[in-house]
Amino acid sequence: MRAVFRLLVARLFVSLLVLAGVSVLIFAIARVIPGDPARIALGPNATHEQVAALRGQLRLDESIWSQYAWFVNDLSRGELGQSLYTNRPVVKDIAQFLPATLELVIVAGILMICAGLPLGMLAAKYRGGVIDNVVRLLSLLGVSAPSFVWAVILMLLFAFYLPLFPIAGRIDTAFEVPGVTGFLLVDSLLDGQVAAFADALRHIALPALALALSGIGQAARLTRANMVETYDRPYVEMARSYGFPEWRIARSYAFKPSLIPSLTIIGLDFAAMLGNAFLVEAIFAWPGLSRYGVAVILRKDLNAIVGTVLIISAAFLIANLIVDLLIALINPRIRHSRDAS
Amino acid sequence: MSVPVLDIRDLRLAFQGFDGRTEALKGISLSVNAEERVALVGESGSGKSVTARAVLGLIQERRDTELTGSIAFEGTELARLSTAGRRRLRGNRISMIFQDPVSSLNPVYRIGAQFLEVIRRREPRISKREGCARAAAKLSEVSITEPERVLSSYPFQLSGGMCQRVMIAMALINAPSLLIADEPGTALDVTVQDQTLRLMRQLVLEHRAAVLLISHNLGIVREYSDRLYVIYRGRIVEQGATDSVFRDPRHAYTRALLDAVPRITRTGIPVVGEDVEAFSAPCEIHAEAA
Ligand SMILES: Nc1ncnc2c1ncn2[C@@H]1O[C@H](COP(=O)(O)OP(=O)(O)OP(=O)(O)O)[C@@H](O)[C@H]1O
Ligand SMILES: [Mg+2]
Repeated sequence: MRAVFRLLVARLFVSLLVLAGVSVLIFAIARVIPGDPARIALGPNATHEQVAALRGQLRLDESIWSQYAWFVNDLSRGELGQSLYTNRPVVKDIAQFLPATLELVIVAGILMICAGLPLGMLAAKYRGGVIDNVVRLLSLLGVSAPSFVWAVILMLLFAFYLPLFPIAGRIDTAFEVPGVTGFLLVDSLLDGQVAAFADALRHIALPALALALSGIGQAARLTRANMVETYDRPYVEMARSYGFPEWRIARSYAFKPSLIPSLTIIGLDFAAMLGNAFLVEAIFAWPGLSRYGVAVILRKDLNAIVGTVLIISAAFLIANLIVDLLIALINPRIRHSRDAS
Repeated sequence: MSVPVLDIRDLRLAFQGFDGRTEALKGISLSVNAEERVALVGESGSGKSVTARAVLGLIQERRDTELTGSIAFEGTELARLSTAGRRRLRGNRISMIFQDPVSSLNPVYRIGAQFLEVIRRREPRISKREGCARAAAKLSEVSITEPERVLSSYPFQLSGGMCQRVMIAMALINAPSLLIADEPGTALDVTVQDQTLRLMRQLVLEHRAAVLLISHNLGIVREYSDRLYVIYRGRIVEQGATDSVFRDPRHAYTRALLDAVPRITRTGIPVVGEDVEAFSAPCEIHAEAA
C-alpha cells in the first residue's frame, strides 16, 4: 500500500505541474486571440472612454506578466475573476454548469465500462463464435463514427422518428429538484422524487449513449484483444489442467490480468469524453459547460476562458489519476514493487 | 497384475485447421502402472504435449480436434465420461507440472489464494485457515523454509526455483494418483532443474503417485524414469525399461537420439539429423524383465 501512496503523491505532484503549465499556456493564448474583450463586452455603441475605463478595470493595459501575477493571486484565494459574459464570478458560473457536464460524462463512462468490458469478455470467451462476430461488428460501428454523429443519429432515430426519448434538455421543467450535488440523478433521489429521477434518466439516456458509443466499442475491442492474448498464457492452461470452472478461468485468469493493459487506454477514452461532450451537449441542448465555453470564447471573456479550460484540464487529470490508481490496485507488481517498499 | 493407472491404446489425434488436417498422433499405445515412473521422450513437435493434454481431457474440449482410440484412467474410459466428469479428475486424481513455473502461476493473485483454489477442487468447503495451513505444510515438504511468506507473495516476487517448488507442492497437495510433468523446469537453469526433479522424485515416492515424465532431455529421462517410450512424429518407435533401452537401443531413431546427446543444443533439444527412412520402422518393444 505504501507503494500506491507514493505513486499517488508523485502523480498528484506531476498533475499540479501540468495544471500550472496549462494555466500559463491558456492564459497566453487567450490574450493572443485578436479582439478587445472590453470593446466586445460593451458593444459597438460604447464610447472610447468607457472602453478605456473597462480596460483599466480589467488591468488589460498592464504587462502580461503582471496580469498573470494577478491571476495567480486570485487563484490562491480560490477565485478566477469576474466573467464579462455573465457578470458573475467565473467560479460561480462553473459551479452552475460543470455538474451537468460531469453527470453526462460520468454516466457515459459507466455505460462504457458496464457495456464495453462485458461485451469484450464475452467475445473473447466465445472467440470465433457468433457472439464474438456480433460484438466485433458492433464495436467497429461504435468506433467508426465520432460521438456527435452518433448524437445526431440517435436523436433522429429515438427522439424524432420514434419519440421514445426527449429531444433536448436535462429534465422536464415541471420538476423542481433542490440542488445539493448538482447531479440531477442524485439530487432527485435524495429528495425522494422518483418521477423526477426517471425523467432525468430519460433525458440523459441518448446524449450519454452517443457520448459512450465509441468508448464502448473501443473498450470491447481492447478487452477482447487483451483477453484473447491472456487466454494463451501458460497460467490459463495450468488453471484448465486443474479443472477450474470455465467462468472462473474467464474472470480471474483471462479477464483480470488482461485489464492491466486495457485500463490505460480506457482511461484515456474516458478523458477524451470530456472533450467530445462539448459537441454532444450542443446537439442535445444540454445545459452544461459547453454552451458556456463556446459563448465565452466568442466573447473573448478572458477570465471565463481560462477558468473553463483549467477546470476541464483538472477533470482530465483526475480521471487519469483514478485510472493509474486502479491499475496499481490490480497490478501487484506496482503495488508491491521492491524499490518502493 | 492390477489395473494400470493410465492405459492409452491406439490413440489418434488430428487437428482440423484452415489449411487442412494435421495428424499429431498416429496411433499411440502407452501405459503407466501404479507408482511407476514412465518417460515419454521425443523431439520437438513429436506429440508429447498433446498426449498429456489428451490424458487431462483438455484436447477433448476443443472443437477442432478428432480423437480416436482409448484412454483409460484407473480403468475408466475417459471418452465415456462427460466433460464435467473428466474435469473432476483434473487437479484431483491427475495433476500436471508445466515447463515454465513462473508464467504458469497467475500473476495477479497471491500464491496462497491459488493454493486454496487447488485444495478446494477436492474439498470445496475447506476454510481459508485450514487450507493455508495445509498449503504451508506441503510447502515445507518441498524444502521451502518460509512457507508463510511464500503463500503471501505474488509469483513475480519468487525465484524460478521457488515457483517450481510451489508448482510441485500444488500438484501433489490433492494426492493425485498420476502426475504428468511436461518438461518440468526446462525454463530454469540446469542445477535448479536437477534439484527440483530430485525433489519431485522423492515426493512422488512418498505420495505413491505414478509419474508420466515428458522430456526431450535424455539425461533426465535416464535418471528419473523406470520405463520409457520413444515417440517420433506421433508414433511410439521404441519402448522398454529405461536401462535396457539405453544399453541396447534398437530403433534407428532412438540410436540417432542417443548419438545426438553430445551435440545437445543450448535448449537441451538433441539435434537429430534430417529424416532417415529407418525412423519410420515399426516399434521396438523391449521384453519386460520377468
Ligand atoms: N492447437 C494445435 N493446432 C494444430 N496443431 C497442433 C496444435 N497443438 C499441437 N499441434 C501439432 O501437434 C504436434 C505435436 O505437438 P506437441 O505440442 O505435442 O509437441 P511436443 O512433442 O510437445 O513438442 P515440444 O517438445 O516442442 O513441446 C505438432 O506437430 C503440432 O504442430
Ligand atoms: Mg511440449
